[in-house]
Amino acid sequence: MHEVSLAMEVVRQALEAAANAGASRVTAVQVELGVLRGVDPDAMEMAFTAVAAGTAAEGARLDLREIPARALCRQCGTEYAVAIDHYVCPRCQAADPRLLAGNDVVLRSVECEVPEEECR
Amino acid sequence: MRRIEVVSSVLTKNAQAAAETRARLNAAGVTAVNVMSAPGSGKTTLLQQTLQSLPDIPAAVLVGDLQTTRDAERLAATGAPIVQINTGRGCHLTADQVAEGVAQLNLNEIRLLFIENVGNMVCPTGVDLGEHLRVALLSVPEGDDKVAKYPTLFQGADLILLTKVDLLPVLPFETGRVQRDLAQVNTRAPLLFLSTTSGAGMAEWLSWLRQQVRGESCP
Repeated sequence: MHEVSLAMEVVRQALEAAANAGASRVTAVQVELGVLRGVDPDAMEMAFTAVAAGTAAEGARLDLREIPARALCRQCGTEYAVAIDHYVCPRCQAADPRLLAGNDVVLRSVECEVPEEECR
Repeated sequence: MRRIEVVSSVLTKNAQAAAETRARLNAAGVTAVNVMSAPGSGKTTLLQQTLQSLPDIPAAVLVGDLQTTRDAERLAATGAPIVQINTGRGCHLTADQVAEGVAQLNLNEIRLLFIENVGNMVCPTGVDLGEHLRVALLSVPEGDDKVAKYPTLFQGADLILLTKVDLLPVLPFETGRVQRDLAQVNTRAPLLFLSTTSGAGMAEWLSWLRQQVRGESCP
């Protein structure tokens, strides 16, 4: 969902990180997709390719990793795995989770080319 | 080649705008409620009646739609401050849009802010607007399988309203299915059966709202 606006922000942040490191090109980005976000990986690839075109990230590889969802039961304190259609605590059967993981989209890292002269 | 660790949420911009709005609302003692549902579930009608039924709690509404100011016009007839946000083709309100809308209100004159989101069971769910509470509506004509089909909307709600219950006698809607499906995604939010036509459940809805309004001198 909304893969284009996500891709725009990924590219923006990647270019910023590269610029801060004095790099000339972004060759790859590593992005984590929390499963609860409902981001379609294929749509994300297409959006990223389109958005990166004409920038210093043009042609960069997009490495996607799916992050499973975990929650803390607000009723009994058990930590458990949740999914987009299932939030029941295995211990007390409540569906009252505080989400711990799987609900975000994170730019984990960026691979860059640095100009030949610079070694950092 | 160098790999640079970034570890930054891609959702940061909206999250930051939402946090700023929430801080502004907190400072002014205003409770904000994000009202979400499919188109036609009865959000505007409910808010019209609600505004007229809480004379002691000054309230305002930010209403989001792709097009038209029709909802704002209907709500303005209640005398409450109303701001219409037209998103154009945007399928949900954003924190930036809500911040702009909030800037048009005098927060010192209200204690309760309703944000009537764009009618959509999918896209608004992932977008923090700076609200304190989320209310999800499901209307009887939509069918009793929608909790299972759109779990994220109902999982994130603090209160769930089954609206248009005056139609239960004439539609094949099993309230038990809604309750069973909710047991899988949200056992925290109360489920209220409501009808703006018959008045059923309105007292319970208003009572819930009163309890949520910040600054009330309650234990």
